[in-house]
Amino acid sequence: MEKNPALLALTSSALLLPAYQGVRADAPPEFVELGMRYSKYEEDDTKGSKTFGGNSQRFDIDAAQFHLLAPVADNWAVAVDVQWEDMSGASPWFVGQSIDGDPKVIMSGASIEDTRTEVSVTTRYYYDRGNAGLNYVHSDEDDYESNAIALDGSFNSADGMTTYSAAISTSRDDIDPTQGAVPTNTLHDNKDISSAWVGVSQIISKNAIVRFGLAYTYRDGFLTDPYKLRDRRPDERKEWAVSGGYRQYFMWPDGALHADYRYFDDDWGVASHTVNLAWHQNLGRSTQVIPFLRYYSQGEADFFANIADTEKRYYADDYRLSSFGAITAGLRVRYEIGNWAISAVGERYETDESWGVFSGDESPALLNYWRYSFGLDYVFR
Amino acid sequence: MSLSHSHYDHRFKAMGGPCRLRLDCADATIAKRAIAAAEAEVVRLERKYSRYLPDSLTSAINRAAGSAHAVPIDAETAGLLGFAQTLWEQSGGLFDLTAGILRRAWDFRSGKLPAQSTIDGLLPLIGWDRVQWDQNVILLPEPGMEIDFGGCVKEYASDSAAAVLASHGIERGLVDLAGDMAAVGVGCAAEPWSVGIRNPRDSATAIAQFGLAGGGLASSGDYERCMLVDGRRYGHILNSTTGWPVQGLAAVSISAPQCLVAGGSATIAMLKPEAEALTWLRELGLPWFAVDSAMGCHGELHSR
Repeated sequence: MEKNPALLALTSSALLLPAYQGVRADAPPEFVELGMRYSKYEEDDTKGSKTFGGNSQRFDIDAAQFHLLAPVADNWAVAVDVQWEDMSGASPWFVGQSIDGDPKVIMSGASIEDTRTEVSVTTRYYYDRGNAGLNYVHSDEDDYESNAIALDGSFNSADGMTTYSAAISTSRDDIDPTQGAVPTNTLHDNKDISSAWVGVSQIISKNAIVRFGLAYTYRDGFLTDPYKLRDRRPDERKEWAVSGGYRQYFMWPDGALHADYRYFDDDWGVASHTVNLAWHQNLGRSTQVIPFLRYYSQGEADFFANIADTEKRYYADDYRLSSFGAITAGLRVRYEIGNWAISAVGERYETDESWGVFSGDESPALLNYWRYSFGLDYVFR
Repeated sequence: MSLSHSHYDHRFKAMGGPCRLRLDCADATIAKRAIAAAEAEVVRLERKYSRYLPDSLTSAINRAAGSAHAVPIDAETAGLLGFAQTLWEQSGGLFDLTAGILRRAWDFRSGKLPAQSTIDGLLPLIGWDRVQWDQNVILLPEPGMEIDFGGCVKEYASDSAAAVLASHGIERGLVDLAGDMAAVGVGCAAEPWSVGIRNPRDSATAIAQFGLAGGGLASSGDYERCMLVDGRRYGHILNSTTGWPVQGLAAVSISAPQCLVAGGSATIAMLKPEAEALTWLRELGLPWFAVDSAMGCHGELHSR
């Protein structure tokens, strides 16, 4: 229905006043928040029919996360996130050809054990019409070290209906592959990653928001997988992504639909579509149940082949550069009681070459996994 | 498992009338903190904009009238002036922020009509289009000229106090500043507040009931201040061009997402002649309810 011009004029001039400018959205946190989360990630074993040498165990990751958010002044807040990960298992080493011509995966024999520690510190400043954050992340594991710094900011329009956001980040990663299990492609190397992002979100009605984003990432340095036998990649990668999202709240049944889409393209020939659908259902005031579904389809890199041709300039048999489709289905539940919030997530990820919209040969190393997570948050108020 | 929500009802006096904050909350500490902050917000706006308080911004602006010194204003004040400008435009000049001085001529307790010469002496001081203002300063051009935010500050304060309640995590609350209301309602779990609309000829009874789940409800009526002279009713809603009471509707209530928009729309409807006002209300697209001078009821407030 077209709005009456008088009502439109009154509403748009009223909305310029500070009381209507989404004070909540850009207000700094009032209380200290503390959270802990435990997650388990379990890859299915690679089936015996797809490997040389029977069923092969793949990766398991146990992760513990700690989160602290604290107001430090009227307009400042600091967040500290620490994550510990314990990884074990084997990963695909290379893909070989069986006697009957089928590609079969050869796993890295010995079990890989590694631990990763990541510390992230964010300071955020809140101003009248938005906020700006500065973030530093340090990640360390046996064979890898990364330092990243990011700056982001958002700005709301005078009527509070539009939010413009932008972010830039840069990181330096050092790679020192663990020697012993398999021969490695380098002894020591590094790579630099720079990225920029711009986005806009628009409130289109009392119950609906749309958003658009544009991202560019530039990777430079040693981009080859250090452990894979047949892997040699360009030392530069340029990536673009466009994304859009829509959120709609429904009075009945007191729930919201979140629908998001992302298109990715790069100069290695990899392109992908990602569709995310989630339903946020409120049950009373304290419980939220969120079933979600993600569809991902990727087209293979120009230099990908199941049986990599090492005579070429670049080659890789890494399933992550192959064509495939993947579906993730999961459920998230959040329950608040007093100052406590309990949350749990379970999700299943499955891949198949035939689910994708891009053509290509199916990699025998495609994986399926389960992920569970359990979290506890407390607000000191 | 569900938490029991206690009901809190806090009454205080501000902006020249009875004020009430009602809310449901499971935690007494949060409820008390929210109530204190919302009341402080109402008091802040009263201190800033009341024309009765000598140290208010309004008093400072009025004192500087006719001088060469423009008064600096902040974004909030510029926003209110902008809203007043829109009311002036949308009402075809019937709403005028500078028309408040007519109350010097009209004493509704006296039971006597003012002399036309008194009114004529005030009319040259009225004229919103002559006020010089921008986002940073305001200057009233004539000595004796005044502005009066009475027509929109109470409604704005209702919305602002409701936003304060919401920012404290209150999911169901109602701010009622002498009939100008703003409700906080998060999700459909928040049951609407049942609010009564006063009978314009009998202030003790309700003429209609309305369920307010969120947003605002504002009412305007000649029952607030009026007098009968020789069997004719003179209400306090004055035409800024003639200086005489408008012979229009007896009362209007409007619901809108913001109490400020509801109040501004109700004021415009009250300033228009009766038939024109009813047409304007029908076309507005907001839930409304009006009582005409013959006590006939019009419109219907639908629960949103």
